[in-house]
Amino acid sequence: MKRWVVITHMMVVSMLFPCKGMTQELIANAGLQVSEISRTQARLLFTMRLQQWPDDQPVKVFVLADTNPIHVNFAKRMLQLFPYQLRRVWDRQVFSGTGQAPITVATEKEMIERVAATPGALGYVNSAASLSGVKQIAIY
Amino acid sequence: MAFLLKLCVAQQILSSVAIRSVVKILLRLDLERKISFFRASIIVGGLLVFSGPWEAQADSTDTSSQYSVIESFQVHGFLSQAVVNTSDNRWFGDSPDTSYAFTEAALNGSARILPQLLISGQVLLRQAGDMYDGSPSLDYALADLTFASTLHYRLGVRGGRIKNPFGLYNETRDVPFTRPGIFLPQVVYFDRVRNLVLSSDGMMAYADTFQDYGDVSLIVGGGWPVMDENVEWSYLGADFPGDLESDSPLIVGRLWYSSPNASFNMGLSGTALRMRFDPDVGAPFTLSSGTTDIFYWIASLQYNLELWTISAEYMRQPIEWRDYGEFFPEQDLTSEGWYIQAQYRAHPQFELMMRWEEGYADSGDRDGTQIDRLTGGAITAYSRYSKIFTAGARFDINQNWMVRAEYSYHDGTFILSPRENPIPRDQEKYWHAVSFLLAFRF
Repeated sequence: MKRWVVITHMMVVSMLFPCKGMTQELIANAGLQVSEISRTQARLLFTMRLQQWPDDQPVKVFVLADTNPIHVNFAKRMLQLFPYQLRRVWDRQVFSGTGQAPITVATEKEMIERVAATPGALGYVNSAASLSGVKQIAIY
Repeated sequence: MAFLLKLCVAQQILSSVAIRSVVKILLRLDLERKISFFRASIIVGGLLVFSGPWEAQADSTDTSSQYSVIESFQVHGFLSQAVVNTSDNRWFGDSPDTSYAFTEAALNGSARILPQLLISGQVLLRQAGDMYDGSPSLDYALADLTFASTLHYRLGVRGGRIKNPFGLYNETRDVPFTRPGIFLPQVVYFDRVRNLVLSSDGMMAYADTFQDYGDVSLIVGGGWPVMDENVEWSYLGADFPGDLESDSPLIVGRLWYSSPNASFNMGLSGTALRMRFDPDVGAPFTLSSGTTDIFYWIASLQYNLELWTISAEYMRQPIEWRDYGEFFPEQDLTSEGWYIQAQYRAHPQFELMMRWEEGYADSGDRDGTQIDRLTGGAITAYSRYSKIFTAGARFDINQNWMVRAEYSYHDGTFILSPRENPIPRDQEKYWHAVSFLLAFRF
């Protein structure tokens, strides 16, 4: 019975606070003058078609491996793209010389460190709570 | 159509002077090196012209001077090896005895000199049966300059050697990871004449708009195709003494629409070009200095779901032969081909693919019976079409390694290389192929 109480509680919580704690957060270098971006902008940034922030700083995109669950959820929920679609765009650009691929990092920890250390950096994590050196970016 | 009979006679004359041809090929290789050296100099010169003023600007502005070119430098590449076995007919080498002559490898580098300026280049090694011998070639080398980039549009220009943006696959047709199978749908992306549409030495301008209803992009350009002997084998039926060369710059265009989440894509792409035969004056027999005009276009459709991708493309290619002399009268015909393909991602690392494709050498004589009759069977009906069923599987072992297996059943031999199968009567109408591929990328 105890388990049912917990499950019901979780369901109520997740309904009251949709996706909080489960959702992925967009993060950027703390020095960036941006606090929210549109979904279109996020797609352009992660497909490497937008190279500069509004203040002209060059964009540096960091991602996790294609099959990493954080990456899969980020692509599907935040960008509304499937991971294979992102891979297709990056491969076409890299192997036709018309663009570049984002920098792939191994872990969420490395993602935070690299975004914190790189001016103009953009990435994502499972939860942005208590992160130093990076700022959370909202998607509208 | 009687000229085709004469063509066969001409072919026999040619084979009797085989030694001569070998010498000529050697000479031509040397000539091609000179041409590519010339082209390379244009490309390098173009890059310098492009990068010069922008580098100067980089020093003068604060935000740009923070920009690290070294950090932006990326190197990628791949290596793949296939094994091909066919019941009959030569396909990428001596496939009836199992061929290993399908090897692809490439190494590329790119750097953002500035956020607006990308330079990149790739060297490709490709062995493909008797069609390509594996010697390295400059696949692309370009500078890409973005004039304007906002949330609503992007405008820019590319110069150098550029992969032609045709259909869903042409730009990265030699990259096994980006293909839907071990072989691309041959009736649209012929491997026997891949170089004709592979890339151009020239300029292309691009304009993208990003709207609520989706992305629309337009690419328009011009340049010279990077041609080789395979083109001559396919469009003249033999390797005559002399060279088939591009006569004037080609025009390239692509219009593409993609829905906001890229689930639905459609586009039109094509090129118009003219080739001229430059005869070897000392040869005992060759053709006159004729021209071949080609207008090659593809209509593409693709629908992407989480587990499924459905793709279909239609290719049409009107061809005109003119002024090749009495042995090769003037002729017009239209080649066409189409396919429909389903990819199913059963697991993020495992994909299944099925495809049906049909291609015709002459849309006015699809079953080839007219030409078969006119040439008294010297050109067989079934060498004028291909109907192919393909089933394949892909397993991505990890981010770097991939294995593939594929089976295809063929009715007709239109897609075969005449270079690998020079005598039409020796070709088998019904044949099948089993192939495996192992590829590594980084």
